[in-house]
Amino acid sequence: MRPIPAFRLIVAMGYPWFVVGIETKPADIIMDYRLHSDPDRLAVEPPVKETLIWDLPLRLFHWSMVCVVTVAALTGFFAPVGWLDVHTVAGYALSSLLAFRLAWGFFGGHFSKFKTFPLSRDRVIKHLGQIIARKSPAHIGHNPTGALMIVVLLLGLIAVVLTGLVTLGGQEKLGPLAFITSYKIGHFSKELHEMAAFAVVGAIFIHLFGVFVETRVFKHRVIQAMVTGKKVTVGKFLIPKHRNGAPRGVILSLLVPAVLIAGGTVLANKTPAGWKLLEIPAVYASECGDCHSAYHPSLRSAGAWQAVMAGLPDHFGEDASLGQKTAGRISAFLQANSATTFDTKVARRVGRNDTKSLRMTDTPFWKKRHDEIDDAVFRMRGVGSKVNCNACHKDAMSGRFGDANIHVPTGDK
Amino acid sequence: MNLSKGLLARSMVAVAVVACLAVQFVHPASANQRQQIIEKITSEAKTLDQNFPGFSADRGKALFLSRPATGKPDTPSCTSCHTSNPSNVGETRAGKEIAPMALSKSPERYGDLEKIEKWFRRNCNSVLGRACTPVEQGDFLTFMFSQ
Repeated sequence: MRPIPAFRLIVAMGYPWFVVGIETKPADIIMDYRLHSDPDRLAVEPPVKETLIWDLPLRLFHWSMVCVVTVAALTGFFAPVGWLDVHTVAGYALSSLLAFRLAWGFFGGHFSKFKTFPLSRDRVIKHLGQIIARKSPAHIGHNPTGALMIVVLLLGLIAVVLTGLVTLGGQEKLGPLAFITSYKIGHFSKELHEMAAFAVVGAIFIHLFGVFVETRVFKHRVIQAMVTGKKVTVGKFLIPKHRNGAPRGVILSLLVPAVLIAGGTVLANKTPAGWKLLEIPAVYASECGDCHSAYHPSLRSAGAWQAVMAGLPDHFGEDASLGQKTAGRISAFLQANSATTFDTKVARRVGRNDTKSLRMTDTPFWKKRHDEIDDAVFRMRGVGSKVNCNACHKDAMSGRFGDANIHVPTGDK
Repeated sequence: MNLSKGLLARSMVAVAVVACLAVQFVHPASANQRQQIIEKITSEAKTLDQNFPGFSADRGKALFLSRPATGKPDTPSCTSCHTSNPSNVGETRAGKEIAPMALSKSPERYGDLEKIEKWFRRNCNSVLGRACTPVEQGDFLTFMFSQ
């Protein structure tokens, strides 16, 4: 059945035009593979044989991807923010897997190579027509819409990983891009990260739907093939050389993620942009830290600190007066390292936001981020008040306030 | 020979001095330091009242447990933060632990006059709304030393 023009137009509009031209091999190789999947014919037409189509590296890649994407999606969409470290590890694993797959697309097994993907526009449209007509033949490697799906998934996941790394670098000041990423860029990237993640989830459902149609409607055992690597084939068979890409291809393909991990580790150890390790003066730690944690100076603006220091005799309801000399030294430290000298999430959203009460707990961001926390938690032993940041933010003293370091205590009140 | 003997003696003295300083640092405040502080407050009390008979732990206890509520609204009494038992760990309004006030529980306390004066200045103002008299200070310390 030839697709109707309107349908053709819709497909053409949604087609990623930049992938045209990847396919260099003509259709003749595919034509030579006669793939058998009809159980009735199996019985009457034996010389059937099982041929390895998906080699071990590809299968390992595929199922690792399933696990890693599942973890990343669950922690990303559903888990509390404190799970960010698990999400990040899943993201790093994902980027390594993607790097491997991209390399494997050039150095890997025959059917994994991008140049063997049946990606031409005509082929995809024809295959879609066949699907709609419910007469879709089995394909020895990827079928055209499946191949297109893989390109979309790979590109989508690359987008997810890249935007994730930028978000991690800008918002959390962590990871290989932290040394170069501002908070604003990271904040913007988070929107893109979420959009890309939703798009990938959508693509995964389409992928699963495609697999469902292949197995249920057309009786092609594609899931089994991705487990055992084998498809049942009959007839004359052209097997290209270096079909499995091993061992040179495996080494080359593992080298790419290895280099990426090594480079990323070096970059991740650089000092993040807009954050520095402060040496907290002993006088600040003892004089201010006697009653409350010695808050990181980036939590308030220079002006707010000035007001706080001027109002010590009535310091949020208590006399916290200090000698002039001591107060002067503390004030100098706070002014020099106030919120405008840091580019962290907390400096941007809390520190630079002056409140009339001078309290950081009155900033909209603080309120928004703590509105789901029960008042009882703030009264718990070991917490005591809303301004005991350290009780939950294990890295509060460094001014980082990373999501992964949030551990809200449970336990008895 | 003579020179090296002198050197040995001098280095031993130096070691002894350093050791004493180190001990001073980590050692709990000494009874002697507390005595000096009490004596200083006693002399202050005597300048106000020549017939001042001495401090009382009972009066100190009564002061500690009282609820004057004449200072700042959030701190009506000492016990607001220190709890009603000086042997207990207290908690500041901000949620920070306060070591027990009882000397037996916190032997490192009460060695530094400047620090004692700072906290009397702040907390008497917060709780009472005024400075504490030398008698109140002495009574309070005497009570805490007995605990």
